[in-house]
Amino acid sequence: MIDFTKSAGFNLAARHRAETRFQWMGKGAILLALAFLAWLIVTIAVGGYGATKLVQIAIPVDLSATNIDPNNIAAARFGKIVKLGLRTRFPEVKKRKDKKKLYNLLSTEASFELKRAILADPKLLGGTRKIWFTASDTLSLYVRGKTNVSVPEDQRRISDKEIAWAADMQKNAEIRTVFNWGFFTHGDSREPEIAGILAALIGTALSLAVCFLLSFPLGIAAATYLEQFAPANRLSDIIEVNINNLAAVPSIVFGLLGLSIFLGYFGLPRSSPLVGGMVLSLMTLPTIIIASRASLKSVPPSIKEAALALGATPVQAVFHHVFPVALPGMLTGAIIGMARALGDTAPLLMIGMVAFIVDIPKSILAPATALPVQIFLWSDSPERGFMEKTSAAIVVLLIFLIAMNLIAILLRRKLEQRF
Amino acid sequence: MSDPIIRAQNVDVFYADKQALFGVDLKIEEKQVTSLIGPSGCGKSTFLRAINRMNDLIPICRFRGSLKIDGQDVYAPAVDVVSLRAQVGMVFQKPNPFPKSIRENVAYGLKIHRLTSSKSELDGRIEHSLKSAGLWDEVADRLDEPGTSLSGGQQQRLCIARTIAVEPRVILMDEPCSALDPIATAVIEELIDKLRRDFTIVIVTHSMQQAARISQRTAFFHLGKLVEVGSTKQVFTNPVEERTQNYITGRIG
Repeated sequence: MIDFTKSAGFNLAARHRAETRFQWMGKGAILLALAFLAWLIVTIAVGGYGATKLVQIAIPVDLSATNIDPNNIAAARFGKIVKLGLRTRFPEVKKRKDKKKLYNLLSTEASFELKRAILADPKLLGGTRKIWFTASDTLSLYVRGKTNVSVPEDQRRISDKEIAWAADMQKNAEIRTVFNWGFFTHGDSREPEIAGILAALIGTALSLAVCFLLSFPLGIAAATYLEQFAPANRLSDIIEVNINNLAAVPSIVFGLLGLSIFLGYFGLPRSSPLVGGMVLSLMTLPTIIIASRASLKSVPPSIKEAALALGATPVQAVFHHVFPVALPGMLTGAIIGMARALGDTAPLLMIGMVAFIVDIPKSILAPATALPVQIFLWSDSPERGFMEKTSAAIVVLLIFLIAMNLIAILLRRKLEQRF
Repeated sequence: MSDPIIRAQNVDVFYADKQALFGVDLKIEEKQVTSLIGPSGCGKSTFLRAINRMNDLIPICRFRGSLKIDGQDVYAPAVDVVSLRAQVGMVFQKPNPFPKSIRENVAYGLKIHRLTSSKSELDGRIEHSLKSAGLWDEVADRLDEPGTSLSGGQQQRLCIARTIAVEPRVILMDEPCSALDPIATAVIEELIDKLRRDFTIVIVTHSMQQAARISQRTAFFHLGKLVEVGSTKQVFTNPVEERTQNYITGRIG
C-alpha cells in the first residue's frame, strides 16, 4: 500500500523540524523587537507622565492699596508682595537664611503669575486673598514623591525645614496638583516647572511647512522629468547615482552646507525656521525624488502608450494619466521624508536653531528652535524636572511622527486608483 | 483595385544593430481589414508600430525606407507625430483603458484634440462611439464607473470606442484578442467586420483562423521579411511561397 504519511521517508522528519525551527526563530525575533519597542514606549511614557503634573501652593497675599495702587497696577512690586505673603503664612521664620529657603518653595514665575491674575481680574484688589502659585521644582518633586528623603539632608535638594513647611501646608490643603497646561502653552524656560514646548512645536511646524513647500514641488518635478522625459544616457545615470548617494549623506553635512550657503553666503536670518526648512528640504529632496520615481515607475507603461497612441503629447500623457496614478505614492514618499526631517536635530544645530527660545516664533524669520533640538537641550540640563520634560517632549514628538505616518497611509488609501 | 491608402516601400527597421525588418514592400487597401501573420519575432508588430511611429518611443529604434499614408510620407521631417497618431489610431494587445471613468476614456481624445465644441456634442460623440464599438447597451447606465471595472472583452471594446471617437483614417490593432476568451474574441471579430465599412484596419494576429475569418487581405511575415501578400482566400488556400504553405499548415511557427 502506498504511504502518504510522515513515515514515508524522503527525510521528512528533519525537513519538518527545520521548518518549525525557522518559524520559531522568526516569531522570536518579532517578539523581541516588540518587547524592546514596548519597553521604550513604557519607559518614556512613565518618565514623561510627571511633566503633565503641576504642583501649586496657596499663599495669602495682601493686595490692599498699601501694596498696589489700583490706578497703576504695573508699578507694583509683585515679587515683594508674594514674599510678604509667604512670611505672613509662616511668621515664625525670622532668620535671613531661612527666609531664603522659604522663598525657594515658590517658582520664580510666581510674581508674574500674580501680575497676570490681577490684570485678568482687578476685583482681587483691596484685601488679602489666597492665590494659587506654581511651586518650585524642588518642592514639586518632593510633593510628587520623587525625592528620596531617607538620605542625609546635605545630600538632597530639599531641606528638613522645607519638608516641615510643606507638611504644614499639606495639612491645611494649601498644596494641590493640577494638570500642567503650561507645558503645551509656554516656551522654554530656565525653570523646569515653567518650561513648555509650544515655542519648539511652532518652530518645528514652521520649518516643516517651509520644507514641504520647497521640497515637494521640486522633488516631484525632478522625479517626473528624470523618470518620464530625460534621455537615457550617461548623464542621467550619473544624476541617478548621485541622488541615491545624497539620500545616504549624514544630515549634519546638509547642516554645514546650509550654514555656509544660506547663512554665510546669502545672509539669511540665523536660527530662523526659513533656513531650518531649507536645510531640511535639502535632506528630504533625495528621499522624495527616489520615492516619486519609484511611484512613477510602478505605473504600467501601457497607460502612457494608450494616451500617446491617441495623439496626446508626451507632457499630456504624463500629466493626464501617469501623474494622477503616481500621486498617492509620491505624497506618501514626501510625508515619510518629512517625518525623517521632523526628527532630525543635527542640521538644525548647525544653523543655530539650538538657541534658548522663550518667545513663541511669530514668523519664519523669527529665531526659533525645533522639537528634537528642545529635547536635546533639556536632556542636557542638570535639573531633575527637565528629565520629565525631556520624556514628555519625546512623547509629543512620537505622537507627531505617528500622526504623520497615519496621514500618509490614509492619503494613500483615499487617493489610490485601481487600474 | 483602388489606390492603396498605406504604401510601404523598402522598409528597414533596426533595433540598435539588430535589423528587424528587411526591405518590406506592402500596400494596404482602404476600408479593408489587412491581417499581418507570422511566427513570433517575425517583425509584424514592428511593422505595425512603424505605421503610427510608436517605434519612436524606443530610443534605439531606427527606420529606413518610405512609408506613405494617403500619399504623405509618415517619416518626413515636417510630420508631427501627434497629428499622425490622431489620424492613425491603435488598439493594443492587452486592454489598457485609462484608470478613469468610461465616459472620460472615450472623451479623452476628443478633449485633447478639441474636436467638439459643446457638452452635448461631446456626449453625442461618446454615445456614437460606444454604439459603434457595440458597448453602449452594456454601459449606458454606468458611464461614470471606472473603465477598469469592465470585463476584459468590454475593456477592449472600450479601447476601440476610445480610438474611433477621434475618427482616425486607419486603425492599427496589435493582437487585440490575445488576452480574451473565445466568446469575447468572437464579439470583437464581429465588431472589426462592421468597422471596416468606415475604417481601414490593419491587424496583427497569431491566430490564423482569426485572420481567415476577418481579413480581406493577408500578409505573411517571416524572419523580418514580407514573404507573401494577397487576398486572404488566396494566401490560405493557394499560397505562392513554400514558406507560407509551411506556416499555415503548422510546419513552422
